[in-house]
Amino acid sequence: MPEPIIKLENVWKIYQFDKVELAVLKGVTLDINQGAFIVILGPSGSGKSTLLNMLGCLDLPSKGKVFLDGQDISRMSEDALAQARGQKIGFVFQQFNLLQNLNALENVMLPMIFQGRPEAERKKRAQSLLASLGLQDRVLHRPSELSGGEQQRIAIARALANNPEIIVADEPTGNLDSMTGQKIMEILIDLHKNERKTIVVVTHDPIIADYSNQVVHIKDGQII
Amino acid sequence: MLQEYFKIAVKNLRTRQLRSWLTILGIVIGVFLIMSLLSLSQGLKNTVLQQLKAVGTDIVMIMPGSVSDIMTTLIGSVKLSEEDLNIIRKTPGVKIVIPSVYKGEIVKYQNESKTVILNGLDIRNALDVYIDDMGMKINTGGWAVPGKREVMVGSLVPTEIFPGMKINTLINIKGKQFEIVGILKSMGSKQDDSMLGMDLEIYRSVTGERQGAPQAVAKIAAGYSVEQVAKSIKANLENQAKRRAGRQGENSYSVFTSEAMSGIVGGIMGIIQVVVFAFGSIAVAVGGIGIMNTMYTSVRERTREIGILKAVGAKNSTIVLIFLIESGIIGLIGGLGGMIPGLGLAKLIQAFGQVHPIFYIEASVTPGIIIFGLLFSFGVGCLSGFFPARSAAKLKPVEALRRYE
Repeated sequence: MPEPIIKLENVWKIYQFDKVELAVLKGVTLDINQGAFIVILGPSGSGKSTLLNMLGCLDLPSKGKVFLDGQDISRMSEDALAQARGQKIGFVFQQFNLLQNLNALENVMLPMIFQGRPEAERKKRAQSLLASLGLQDRVLHRPSELSGGEQQRIAIARALANNPEIIVADEPTGNLDSMTGQKIMEILIDLHKNERKTIVVVTHDPIIADYSNQVVHIKDGQII
Repeated sequence: MLQEYFKIAVKNLRTRQLRSWLTILGIVIGVFLIMSLLSLSQGLKNTVLQQLKAVGTDIVMIMPGSVSDIMTTLIGSVKLSEEDLNIIRKTPGVKIVIPSVYKGEIVKYQNESKTVILNGLDIRNALDVYIDDMGMKINTGGWAVPGKREVMVGSLVPTEIFPGMKINTLINIKGKQFEIVGILKSMGSKQDDSMLGMDLEIYRSVTGERQGAPQAVAKIAAGYSVEQVAKSIKANLENQAKRRAGRQGENSYSVFTSEAMSGIVGGIMGIIQVVVFAFGSIAVAVGGIGIMNTMYTSVRERTREIGILKAVGAKNSTIVLIFLIESGIIGLIGGLGGMIPGLGLAKLIQAFGQVHPIFYIEASVTPGIIIFGLLFSFGVGCLSGFFPARSAAKLKPVEALRRYE
């Protein structure tokens, strides 16, 4: 059995508010294997976003361990972790999180800048990614000039920029109408089927839950 | 990669144009102040030191009053008496003593009357000292003959004060006719080149200043130590003063070798420059605080953006760099924007001074001062941006992303 890409080992996340402690994750253990399509389901406040942040190495656990490609992330320097995150994980957010003062092309090129890719290569890849998502006519538009669905597709192109092994999506259809949302989900499914990407999605969408080969239910900070 | 970060930084600044420009304005004002004052004070220093350098090394200057009281001496309320001059003459090692005498008088040439500084020159005894040690050279014509009403004019007199003035023509001073016999070469300073030189005896009779001098110059004979003779001149003058103390009160004297004079003047000018720089720096510091304020605001506003950058792989050092480039650009543009009008103003003051002989000042605009100004403002920008940049870099990606606008 190959090593999981991301491995959570008895992960706790505890927030401290003055004297009150709030445990959002309570001992979660989870393996994300190569090629999996994982859906995380749970009511709001169940800790699913916190879990996703752990999987995306955006946050460090209070207790327990997170391994990215076999490496304990709490032992990595912040810079090394940022570098590894940029290379191995692509993010898709509910609010798209595009940089408003950059155009579509520049937004997609951004993660490649941080990996030190040469400009010609960056531009070529960004253009082909945008074209493959049907955005060839939107390359020089700013996010504010685009519809929600278009913005989310740019965000997906950005997530794919460094050809990461894993895509982490936090309610990617939450801010979209159902038609557009369905298209976004189809793109994610396509990435899984044809590009062999590992995908982790937090969603309420029943269709995507049906497609998934691994559904993780979380409640009160625990996987059930 | 630096080029990419630069592009991102410029985009960020342009997104917040009004605020960026206002912040830049804060720096512009400070740098404007520093550059204009620094350029003028440096110019002043250069001019004065250059003049002093023209003076020979075997020359000693004697002034009444102590150095601590130098303003009194310069204003000229205290003078060397004829007795003082004799004491200097009698000091062993002194070859010749030349009183420096000058006075502003109204001079009439053709139909124009202007105030010109008259300078009494001891041509009979000390012509070679004027030529060799003080850099007075004839351009056209010749030297005035002692005892005759003849004058030599500085190089600026026929060009700026009385345009078209020629030798062998007449001027009128206090109702008496003088013949212009020579035009001097430029001595490198506005004051010296604007004066009118005449024989000492004639000067004394025309101005009515028959005795003493505000200051004197002594040339030291070969084989004597200039330093040593300067000391004995001072001692002799002060002993004499002590003897008279009962009736007149004690006098003190300042005796400088030309080297010591350069040192003192250089020192004073240095202090002026430090003070000027210190005041200007306060203005720049205020501008720097403005940058810091803007950058902190920017960090707060862009918290989410910083989170995104980190999520897609930006290192802490990258975030710091982007913010530093932004504040550095603000500083640099502010520096450039302050320097151009600052040095412009200095040049304008210089041009103004050329029209008014009394108010002569040179603006020094050197590559050094320009590079210094730009580096200084860029440095202030980076320094002011450093703490905001660091606070931006310290944000945890997950917390930065969680903040919604």
